[in-house]
Amino acid sequence: MSIEPSGFGEEMDCTEMERSIDAYLDHEFDESDLALANTHLANCTHCRGMVEVQGRARALLRAKLRAAMGPGVLGGCAPAELRQRVVIALARQRKPIWRRALAPVPMATLAACAAGVVVVLAIHGGNNPFIEEAIVKHNRDMPLEVAQTEKDAVDQFRSWLDFNPHLPRFQNPAVHFVGARRTYLKNVPAAYMRYDLPHGSAGGLFIFDDPDRTFGEAGRSIQLGPAKVRVFNSRGYNVVVWRRNEIVYSLVSDLDEDDLVQLVGTAAER
Amino acid sequence: MFDLRQTDRTRGEFEELALKHLDPLFSAALRLTRNERDAEDLVQDTFLRAYRFFDKFERGTNMKAWLFKILTNTFINKYRRSVKERSIVEGSERDAVHEKFISRETTDYAANPEQFFFDRLLSDDVLRAVDGLPIDFRLVVILADLQEFSYKEIAEILDVPVGTVMSRLYRGRRLLQKALANYAVVSGVLHAPENGESIDLEAFRRRRSKSA
Repeated sequence: MSIEPSGFGEEMDCTEMERSIDAYLDHEFDESDLALANTHLANCTHCRGMVEVQGRARALLRAKLRAAMGPGVLGGCAPAELRQRVVIALARQRKPIWRRALAPVPMATLAACAAGVVVVLAIHGGNNPFIEEAIVKHNRDMPLEVAQTEKDAVDQFRSWLDFNPHLPRFQNPAVHFVGARRTYLKNVPAAYMRYDLPHGSAGGLFIFDDPDRTFGEAGRSIQLGPAKVRVFNSRGYNVVVWRRNEIVYSLVSDLDEDDLVQLVGTAAER
Repeated sequence: MFDLRQTDRTRGEFEELALKHLDPLFSAALRLTRNERDAEDLVQDTFLRAYRFFDKFERGTNMKAWLFKILTNTFINKYRRSVKERSIVEGSERDAVHEKFISRETTDYAANPEQFFFDRLLSDDVLRAVDGLPIDFRLVVILADLQEFSYKEIAEILDVPVGTVMSRLYRGRRLLQKALANYAVVSGVLHAPENGESIDLEAFRRRRSKSA
């Protein structure tokens, strides 16, 4: 039943009063409707009685609700330790990431995948905007900033990045760091690390902070030893994506997909 | 580049504004999830999300309504699926009895308000009756009759039109009143109407226990 309290016209009649009694008792009438209602009630015993009954029933219902679940009673009070829990959880929400009490899943566990048993877990259709942009930027062969080693690059980026990227260390001797660059993926600051990869391929590793898990679910989900990675294929590139807590790593390359997955599998945390 | 003092000040401000609503939020969370552990998790999730979106909150507007909106959304997105809903069966016999009871002459109520059946209800019965409402009705009754939000505030919290709030409230309150009257009948509180109609309490209890 839909009740509209407005538009009563010149006077209110009993039917209108009955239909809008809830809104009247909830103090939802505006001034003019309230005047009409009170005028009607002054002149109508039936409606006055009805309003009194409903008003009493409403007041009793509210009192009963307050007694059962309102302030000061068992059903209405949060347990004492909940307040503590919330305060502690809020304190942990602070940035930057290296101040949080995290239980990291070390990437070294990926190295446990020796024989490389790869199991496809799930396939989600559709493109991922982060990945598409990563591919475009990697393909563009952007100019790199000067740095001797990856560590130097990270030191240069540290204040800009606002998080610690925890660089992976690729075990394959054919992998060489070429250079790094500050960039963005979907307006999120990201580090871009470029590598020479086996078989004359090149690789671009994007690292960004994604605490709100906006990255999404697209791509093929693959079990790599104890860890899960996601694989994308687009525009002739293969991309392997993995996550270490809030940080997302995306390795874009023209290297063959199986080789790329194996490469990621042998990477260890720095 | 990152000012930690800024973060601390914001968190302090948030705690001061938001934590005072912990109890009403927990109370609602408990009625929605119907178990204490989920209610605690729901409340914690709510505060964390609220803190994350604190920059989107307009200072000076209703913080309590804003928090309830986040609570409702979080409940719908994360917890609603796991809650088995048990709704009240509206038997026609039950309705008939209560229509007769509720339509008694208003003078009887004015003369003997203490006989009004709500008076003797236990809090347990009230909680069970509230929990028995379908979630949509349960939520509006809690927001209107316990937390005393306006129709407009409830409409914003639930992201529905005001007309929907009003119709849910209308039905939710009447369902609740009927459910509470049922408890009153079973506990022997309800008096038979004096105009000659009789209630067969045994039949009533049998019907009630079937649908409980």
